[in-house]
Amino acid sequence: MDVGLNSGQLALRDSVRDVLRAECPPGVARQAMTDPERWRTIWKTVVGLGWTELAAPANGGDGSFGRVDLAVVLEECGAAIAPIPLLSSIGLAAGVLRVAGSAVDDLLSAIGGGAVAALAAHPPGCRLPGVTMALQGGRLHGRAVAVAGLPRAELIVTLASSADGPVAAVVRVGDGVAAHAVECTDPAQPVADVEIDTEPVVVAPVDVESALATPLLAAAADLVGVADAALASSVEHAKSRHQFGKPIGAFQGIKHALADNYVALERARGLTYAAAARLDDHATTPAAGWTAAALAKAAAADAAVGCARTGVQVHGALGQTWEHDMHLYLRHAWQGASTLGDSRALYHAVGRRAAGGAR
Amino acid sequence: MTTSDVVAEYAAWLTDFLPDDYYDRYREYRWDMDLRRDHQRAAFEAGWLQPTWPREHGGRSLGLADAMEIRLEGATRSAPKMPNIAGPNVVAPGLRQFGTPEQIERLLVPLLRGDEWWALGMSEPEAGSDFAGLRTRAVRDGDVFRVKGRKIWTTQAHLSRWCTLYARTDPDAPKHHGISCLILDLESPGVTIEPIRMASISDETFCEVILDDVEVPVANLLGPCNGGWQVALSSLNHERQMIWIMNWVEIQRGLDAVRGSETAHDDDASGEVFTELGSLLADAEALRATGYRSLYNELAGRPSPEADILKLLGSLTLQRVWELAAATAGPRSIDDADLLFERQDALAATIYGGTSEIQRNIIAERLLGLPKG
Repeated sequence: MDVGLNSGQLALRDSVRDVLRAECPPGVARQAMTDPERWRTIWKTVVGLGWTELAAPANGGDGSFGRVDLAVVLEECGAAIAPIPLLSSIGLAAGVLRVAGSAVDDLLSAIGGGAVAALAAHPPGCRLPGVTMALQGGRLHGRAVAVAGLPRAELIVTLASSADGPVAAVVRVGDGVAAHAVECTDPAQPVADVEIDTEPVVVAPVDVESALATPLLAAAADLVGVADAALASSVEHAKSRHQFGKPIGAFQGIKHALADNYVALERARGLTYAAAARLDDHATTPAAGWTAAALAKAAAADAAVGCARTGVQVHGALGQTWEHDMHLYLRHAWQGASTLGDSRALYHAVGRRAAGGAR
Repeated sequence: MTTSDVVAEYAAWLTDFLPDDYYDRYREYRWDMDLRRDHQRAAFEAGWLQPTWPREHGGRSLGLADAMEIRLEGATRSAPKMPNIAGPNVVAPGLRQFGTPEQIERLLVPLLRGDEWWALGMSEPEAGSDFAGLRTRAVRDGDVFRVKGRKIWTTQAHLSRWCTLYARTDPDAPKHHGISCLILDLESPGVTIEPIRMASISDETFCEVILDDVEVPVANLLGPCNGGWQVALSSLNHERQMIWIMNWVEIQRGLDAVRGSETAHDDDASGEVFTELGSLLADAEALRATGYRSLYNELAGRPSPEADILKLLGSLTLQRVWELAAATAGPRSIDDADLLFERQDALAATIYGGTSEIQRNIIAERLLGLPKG
């Protein structure tokens, strides 16, 4: 199985990286924390460059985008902590719609064209994502918490129970959709709780595991990027900051902590690319796909939070200041780690299945 | 021939080789040295021993990717372990790369067939992780080197005919540049070998090797004089793309033990077991994915820095998995000799082939570019 990036994917990664370096240095995330409109200029660039078209797999041909391409782009956006709803739109919301059949083709095209969408998949009081709403008599109703990107979204994708089994349901933000913005850890990526009682735009039957696999993978890719960027910042600081007459990176206490960060990062990256390849393989069962994506998300959250926390430690007092970027990585990592299942909950779910516990 | 055809052919060969009751009595067969010797010889003759090498060297001239699939298949099916791993996996690559035609002609086939065992004469009482600090001296005297010194933790020296002996040939050069690799006949006069009792059941016994004015012909120099550091690095690196497989399979065996344990299911403490099990499943899959990714990068001619996490992650995961297996066995863990062996054996994995501390230094200095301490 291919678990590395081919030359086309490496070129894609480099071009995304170059654009973000020029247009979206980490300071933009700091500005977005206090300026709710700051994301729009970056978003315009991103849509103009066609990155949102990764929302939908192209129909055959050599130019078709798979989930590995999706992961590559989201990883770079994570590394740039770009304060845009790309993950929520093309990774989370469109991730569910990918497996919802042809009924959602128009919606995927709209998201591909830049319409912002959010995924409501956290039932209140649950650590793991799942079915949050109910569809009865053509009306969708229910509540979901911690919906990433909702304050910027015009579409909400959600999972609902129905008389005919689980469905993906899409609603337009408007009447019958009450969003309650929350003061979140990472204000550059605003989050809201939502209460829905309205008629959905589209309903399509889905397998819940398959529906959640791509969102988990997408969240993993974003967090791998955060881990990479936080570690890179720590390494630079460890090389340039001198104490006791030498760079602090010469001390094993620092060196080994950063080496462990690197292991965590590559562990997560390996799982993420492998999960992407697995989900693109039609022979993969829903359970195997969900497991691969869940482990990638858990590992990526561990890596991102680990690298950012170590980053604060390595930077000392500097890492605790508003002006230094490390708290931006840490906020993004903490917020991403808690959505779609924290790593302990995901490991537990996978371990329980593997041990033959209740499914 | 496609990869799956080759793997199928190997799998059929292995099935044919193994005794019918191999899996039923694996606990005994894993210590069966005769079976393990026969397996190595048969694998050599069939070309499965080092699949990338030519036929006369126990291979089939296959590509790296095919070789990895064969290694994985063998490991997954618990193929008998090689009785003297150092020979085929460490010495043989170095011998093929650096040996003279005469050395290869005399030594390689008996090594690969397992007829002559090899020891690695590297560690010394004062030179462990700091291998380049070794003190054993080899002084040129006409056609021979006269060697004086002491090697320790030399695995299976008491059962071996030969030893790749690293000794200082230029005491004035910087420490990495004054070392040579000599092929030492362990039957030479002046060689004393003392086995060291191991803390666990083991067929990989350490020895102390005392060298008292031992004569080694100059013709037995492996690689250039004072070029021993490169010989050592190259020999150990040959397996870089494959070493994770051994850990991965042992991890799978440990995971099976956890899954099969009665207490892993229903008691009140199982939640913790599930969480740790899930985390270990991620480690095992990350090891596999990273092993494949680094091979993929290498085959594409790109750098593969991620390969440097394999040793550290694999060995630490192996330890955690057997500790979890012990936890799920509850008090039954204390009267399980196999489990005791696995736990003790796993502790060696973060020491041999470069300790975890050295691995972290390598990652920090070579990959992240941090300054040397």
